[in-house]
Amino acid sequence: MLVLAAEAGQVHLTSQTRIVAAVLALFFMLMILELIRRDRLQERYSVIWFIAGLGMLAGAAFPGLLEVVANLMGVRNTNVALFSVVLLLLLGLALNFSVIMSRQAAQITRLAQERAIEKALAEKRAEGANGNGASGEEPLEAKEQSL
Amino acid sequence: MRALVFIPAWNEEAAIAGVIADVRKAIPGADLLVVDDGSTDATAERAREARALVASLPFNQGLGAALQTGYLYALRNGYDVCAHLDADGQHPAEEVARLLAEVTADRADLVIGSRYHAGAVAESGDYQPTFSRRIGTSVFRFFLTLATRQRFTDTTSGMRAANRRVMALFSQHYSPDFAEIESLQLAVRQGLRVEELPVRMLERAGGSSFLTPLRSAFFIFKGLVVLLVGQFRPRHVEAE
Repeated sequence: MLVLAAEAGQVHLTSQTRIVAAVLALFFMLMILELIRRDRLQERYSVIWFIAGLGMLAGAAFPGLLEVVANLMGVRNTNVALFSVVLLLLLGLALNFSVIMSRQAAQITRLAQERAIEKALAEKRAEGANGNGASGEEPLEAKEQSL
Repeated sequence: MRALVFIPAWNEEAAIAGVIADVRKAIPGADLLVVDDGSTDATAERAREARALVASLPFNQGLGAALQTGYLYALRNGYDVCAHLDADGQHPAEEVARLLAEVTADRADLVIGSRYHAGAVAESGDYQPTFSRRIGTSVFRFFLTLATRQRFTDTTSGMRAANRRVMALFSQHYSPDFAEIESLQLAVRQGLRVEELPVRMLERAGGSSFLTPLRSAFFIFKGLVVLLVGQFRPRHVEAE
């Protein structure tokens, strides 16, 4: 497969673009490290970004890889292969975020429910302790007025 | 038998006190809980003035989350049966009492109050569905019957009674944005006995319905997707 890719010989990346891409990829990964260090990004959500950064770096270091991918996809133009791969990666990321968002929405809902129930039960206990609720509220109001 | 009646309420300050009084009169033996779904008006205050216990969600979460709060409360506090009805005054409490009696007698795990059931009698001043609601109702009725192989006439009814098996299920699994239909499908798939009982419903006492034609269409579309996905959910309890 590698031989076939080399024979196709359609690498248009100049060494200049390869250097720029490699520097960008390194900068990108450093940025992720910095975000983790400052607690702005959690480790468990950074893995996928590191993989993306490494992919960029690999693409810059070994342009032949892109040829292999293009061949595997049955695409003649390596540019099309590149954009397809990036697009798929971004789609995957977006889906990943939707999954995380759904989980957090469910957690927030449960948290709100627990809090509502706890508060209602506390209110009920307070009423029970004071005999009835109406007389129980009066001392509280008097205290507030005296402050 | 300890019974809880809960009322999910979102911005129903005009109707809530009347509904609470109605429930107290028709079901005197039951405890009452108002689940205030992040109302921005005086719903919670009106309910407390009527001396009802209020569980206030800190922000509006949708009917499904509010109902789930009620089921969770009932389960945690050891109630044997529970029922819920809408806070807008459409559901007469004596009909809710009939649903509760069905569950108490253990004839079903979950009982739905149906306004379209053959036995439901329409009187003047009674519930008259609008055109778009009627379309939505028949679409859901068709697909839910297809999905569950059980005949349902009123799929979006918010008047229900349930026992502890249902409380345990609904407090764990309950779709936050498509509460009524998916919950029926879920209950049937778990092998629970779900039954409909014909009931009378009234015209709304306060507030306004959220359904416009465009919203109805979106509501129907979303409902169909939810039903389709629901068919592929794993069964947690095997029904023989």
